[in-house]
Amino acid sequence: MAANVAIAGRLRSVRRLVFLYLRCLGQQMKAILAYEADFVVLLFSAVIVQFTGFLFIWTIFQRIPNINGWTFWQVVMMYALIFVTEGVGSLFFEGTWRLTNLVYTGQFDQMLVRPVSPIVQVLASAVGFNGLGNLVTGFVLIGISITNVPVAWTPGRLLMLAILIASAATIRVAINLASAASAFWVSSPWSMVPMFVHQLSEFAKYPITIYSFAVQALIVVAVPFAFVSFFPTAYLFNNEAWSAIGLLTPLVAVYSLLVAVWIFNAGLRRYESTGH
Amino acid sequence: MPLIEARGLTKKFRQAVKEPGLVGSLKHFFSRQYRDKIAVDHIDFSVEAGESVAYLGPNGAGKSTTIKMLTGILVPTSGSLVVDGLVPHEKRQQNARKIGVVFGQRTQLWWDIPVIESFNLARDMYEIPAARYRDNLAQFTEILGLAEFMNLPAAKISLGQRMRADLCMALLHDPRILYLDEPTIGLDIAVKDSIRGFIRSRIEERGTTVILTTHDLGDIEDICKRIVIIDNGKIIHDGDLAKLKDTYARDRVIHFQLARPPESMGPIGAGLPACEITTDGLRLSVRFDRFKLAAGEIAAAVMPHVEVVDFRIDEPEVEDLIRKVYLGQLSLSPDAPQTGVLAGA
Repeated sequence: MAANVAIAGRLRSVRRLVFLYLRCLGQQMKAILAYEADFVVLLFSAVIVQFTGFLFIWTIFQRIPNINGWTFWQVVMMYALIFVTEGVGSLFFEGTWRLTNLVYTGQFDQMLVRPVSPIVQVLASAVGFNGLGNLVTGFVLIGISITNVPVAWTPGRLLMLAILIASAATIRVAINLASAASAFWVSSPWSMVPMFVHQLSEFAKYPITIYSFAVQALIVVAVPFAFVSFFPTAYLFNNEAWSAIGLLTPLVAVYSLLVAVWIFNAGLRRYESTGH
Repeated sequence: MPLIEARGLTKKFRQAVKEPGLVGSLKHFFSRQYRDKIAVDHIDFSVEAGESVAYLGPNGAGKSTTIKMLTGILVPTSGSLVVDGLVPHEKRQQNARKIGVVFGQRTQLWWDIPVIESFNLARDMYEIPAARYRDNLAQFTEILGLAEFMNLPAAKISLGQRMRADLCMALLHDPRILYLDEPTIGLDIAVKDSIRGFIRSRIEERGTTVILTTHDLGDIEDICKRIVIIDNGKIIHDGDLAKLKDTYARDRVIHFQLARPPESMGPIGAGLPACEITTDGLRLSVRFDRFKLAAGEIAAAVMPHVEVVDFRIDEPEVEDLIRKVYLGQLSLSPDAPQTGVLAGA
């Protein structure tokens, strides 16, 4: 009985946080949509940038039929997952990119005097419409990829695709949040840590088997970008060596989120505000 | 039991010691050196529910740091702090429900969205019951005159409008404690009056406890009964405002404008032995203790000897009093009562 009450309470507080997150984000969206011209330019430039990247690997595959046994359309899936998750990160969780500035200027103070988790407030503090470009490009590439790979797309497999995309996006946001929390340690207006970590995702656009052990360890264990693209792709396309690990992706997502929250809270204890 | 209780409350910051220039930065990168800055140094105080306290001190004295510890933003280095039964930094969100915060230098409103939408977000965050929200919003809008800019984003309204909106948002959830950090900074007289009047009405109607930091002494006289002064991280005075004035602002100066320069000061001085008398051309000034003599007695002693055209009396202002405390010219320790230091010139 007591356990039921506790669970109900927890559910209620999760529902409240999701509601508040959507409320805040909705307001930010409204504010941005007020500047329509900006919005269109952003969207347009983002799509162009992503397709340039896609043309680049297409050119490479014109000369090389496969990379370490991975065909062109399989690599496109890895590429697409990086795009989609980056899009989700910007569009819905752009706030992680603003944390450095919030902490440096002391504006983060106001999030600590409201009765809502500061993590939720940070996540909902901004909308990055440029993410829409990545999101659209990514989903188009996923669509093309799955129709060009000889795999039977049963409803079960499509469901798994959805679960893997959601898990990959969660891992991406967790990585963004954890690297943004570096702002609590590095007091500078231009902390390079989040950008550096973000650059590591470039590695995960290709099969990890092409890299040395050190790079593999980095993107599998330390900053698990391999679970954003490579392992889910391996599972979806029945890669013999790696598909089993791909099934772990949802667990890695939960784990990444917990670690990110822990890092954020550890940083929060060090927060010193500004202008004493 | 007091609503707020601080014992030995201390906050140290670590500051990087860096030589100037690129070389200095490089050196710092390889061998880091830090020094501790003690912003708040073992302070003790308690505040009862319903009190209104002015928390004063020169820039850098530790005021904002104390407020940030009280609100739960900063974690104290040592000492204990309990606010309405909670340790603020441990239970930030629970504490946040019971307090309202206005930082004059920074807005709590969402920058890009209409003011009314900020209020609605606050309603959802604080889970304010619908009826109470409606009543409070209607009442505050009326008193603070918010209607004209309610639909504009915070980015598009003036500083005075922003402060009024901020104050409204801080109080929508009927907090027990209101923290105000320089709430009237940069505002014109009319807005200051409206803000002060509103805060007073909260104190009187709801019994809200108010902790106020300011450099504007008008704020204090209008709102607070008690003043606490902090300097170099230590509390150097804590007491009643009226008593402070009576103790340290006893002197008055009466200035007489004369028709002719006085022939001799002897008789006037003889009639007023406890006073300090100065002359400057056609002006004669007498400094006196207002608890020992009345202005009329001074006039009676002066008038028979000179022809007075006009006169005025200078009263010491709280402002002078505080300024002298900051400058170290006046010690507020109870063992060293001082008189004669103050009085308008």
